[in-house]
Amino acid sequence: MVTLAIAKQTLEDMLRRKILLVLLIIAVGMIALGPSVGFLSPRESSAVLRSLGLAVILLAGLLITILSGIQVIPTEIERRTIYTVLSKPVQRYEFVLGKFLGGIFTVFVMIAAMGVVFLSVLAWQEKRFDPEMLKGVVLTFFQMTLLGALAIFFSTFATPVVNFFLSFGLFIVGNLSSVTDSLISNKNPATRIMANAVHYIIPNFGNFNLQNKLIHPSVEISNANVFIVQNIVYAVIYSAVLLLLAILVFDKREV
Amino acid sequence: MAAAVSIQGLTKKYLDVWNKAEITAVDNLNLEVNEGEIFGFLGRNGAGKTTTIKMLLGLIFPTSGSATVLGKPVGDTDAKAQISYLPEEAYFYESMTGWDCMDFYGRLFRIPEPQRSKRIQKALEDVFLDPKAWRRPLRGYSKGMRQRIGIAQALINDPKLLFLDEPTSGLDPIAHRELRDIIVNVGKQGKTVFLSSHQLPDVELVCSRVAIIHQGKLLASGTIQDLTTGDTVEISADRVSESLAGRIRGVVPAAELVGQRLHISAADPSKVNDVVDLIRGGGATLLSVKPHKRMLEDVFVDVVMNEGGA
Ligand SMILES: Nc1ncnc2c1ncn2[C@@H]1O[C@H](COP(=O)(O)OP(=O)(O)OP(=O)(O)O)[C@@H](O)[C@H]1O
Ligand SMILES: [Mg+2]
Repeated sequence: MVTLAIAKQTLEDMLRRKILLVLLIIAVGMIALGPSVGFLSPRESSAVLRSLGLAVILLAGLLITILSGIQVIPTEIERRTIYTVLSKPVQRYEFVLGKFLGGIFTVFVMIAAMGVVFLSVLAWQEKRFDPEMLKGVVLTFFQMTLLGALAIFFSTFATPVVNFFLSFGLFIVGNLSSVTDSLISNKNPATRIMANAVHYIIPNFGNFNLQNKLIHPSVEISNANVFIVQNIVYAVIYSAVLLLLAILVFDKREV
Repeated sequence: MAAAVSIQGLTKKYLDVWNKAEITAVDNLNLEVNEGEIFGFLGRNGAGKTTTIKMLLGLIFPTSGSATVLGKPVGDTDAKAQISYLPEEAYFYESMTGWDCMDFYGRLFRIPEPQRSKRIQKALEDVFLDPKAWRRPLRGYSKGMRQRIGIAQALINDPKLLFLDEPTSGLDPIAHRELRDIIVNVGKQGKTVFLSSHQLPDVELVCSRVAIIHQGKLLASGTIQDLTTGDTVEISADRVSESLAGRIRGVVPAAELVGQRLHISAADPSKVNDVVDLIRGGGATLLSVKPHKRMLEDVFVDVVMNEGGA
């Protein structure tokens, strides 16, 4: 109950920020106007919308996740609102979890809003509902959950600016799984070890991009649904580990 | 009487910004606060009051030493449910309304509805926050209104022990008096108050016991009565001759003669009769004999200045 109260407060605080509203308006505008780029045949315009929609949701989701992940905890310390919270019968783990959940609820609300617009526009355009794209949106949300947990973990010891580069950098590296994949079979043992380390330690963000299936058709996915569930489980377990580490660090933190 | 707060050898060292020099903010502090008393925690700016309070609440951790609060080690959740804290400068979530802010804190104390709404209503009434402001965002609150919310959130859990860090700083005289009366009232309900304040006249009025710390060390502690004993008497006389002054100095060495005027600012009351007899017998004119009550402020200045802390 305490965790949820903190999550609710965090969500409400985030949703009141103008930057989120601006992002949402821009993203929804791009998705809604995507198909009307004139001079495209209905088939082309459908293809544009599909990649544009997922890309816009990913980009906006990325910004919101990083923005909220790097600052929900530091803001509390900087504004000293944390004093009146942690002096109450609130465990530090409840605080970290509440802050994380509040950030993730925010991301969820934003992605859900963009997703509904995207799927509706697509359904209107194609006169049918495409479950593939819904899966794409859901995977993006879990990708952001993992990124959010990473940013929360860093925020327990790094400043927001450092955290921004750490989280963003790891997100990019984690998206290059195909590169590390190919390096793992490199002849040089040092390169192999490095590639292995990067591949297994850094969260594998690349696996969440359904678009990659189009870009790398050679990667054969036998059962898409199993693949999606695997990724969701991966995101949940990896996030749980990151949160556990975040709690361990924050437990010792002076506020 | 049981101890509400018990501090043993508490020490806190901070590193400075460059992580080089150490600042000993609290230095081997030993202190007991009894249940049901309003305890004044005094010291100059930077003496270590806030640091001590933050350690007692588990917000920061001691370098060495230990403390118990309501008989439990610092940070114990059961104890925290019966504690409340008003930070030095009250910071809240600016976009929340006064009521929502109280509701949030009520949830953190795990107070269920409908009890929570009742407690909020009572707390806001107790601190005389204008009901018109209850549903307005805190960002539009004045300093005094914020301070009232700060006290209200420290009352919402009906605590046994309140830590109030300078609750009356920056308030107008009326608000100041109102908040002081709230603290007196809290004390009458048998709650323990750990009060850090620079308003010594207030402290003298509301506190039963005080401690004075300086550069992190405890310099003095005791009841106000004990600390302020040693009332003195001021005597002045005119047309005092040198030889008379000499005889008077035999009784009270601190006598000052300026021209023919004699002034004794701190005479032991038991010596007053002797001095007055000498003055009258020596042909001088007695001007006044005034009792001078020693105030907490005098004690504070004496204690802190004697420590060489300018
Ligand atoms: N986070 C910190 N890092 C480094 N030094 C600190 C920190 N917090 C406090 N100090 C130092 O510790 C000492 C005690 O500070 P503290 O805030 O406890 O004083 P105080 O008695 O509450 O003073 P005031 O009456 O001004 O509120 C000061 O020298 C202060 O500079
Ligand atoms: Mg202070």
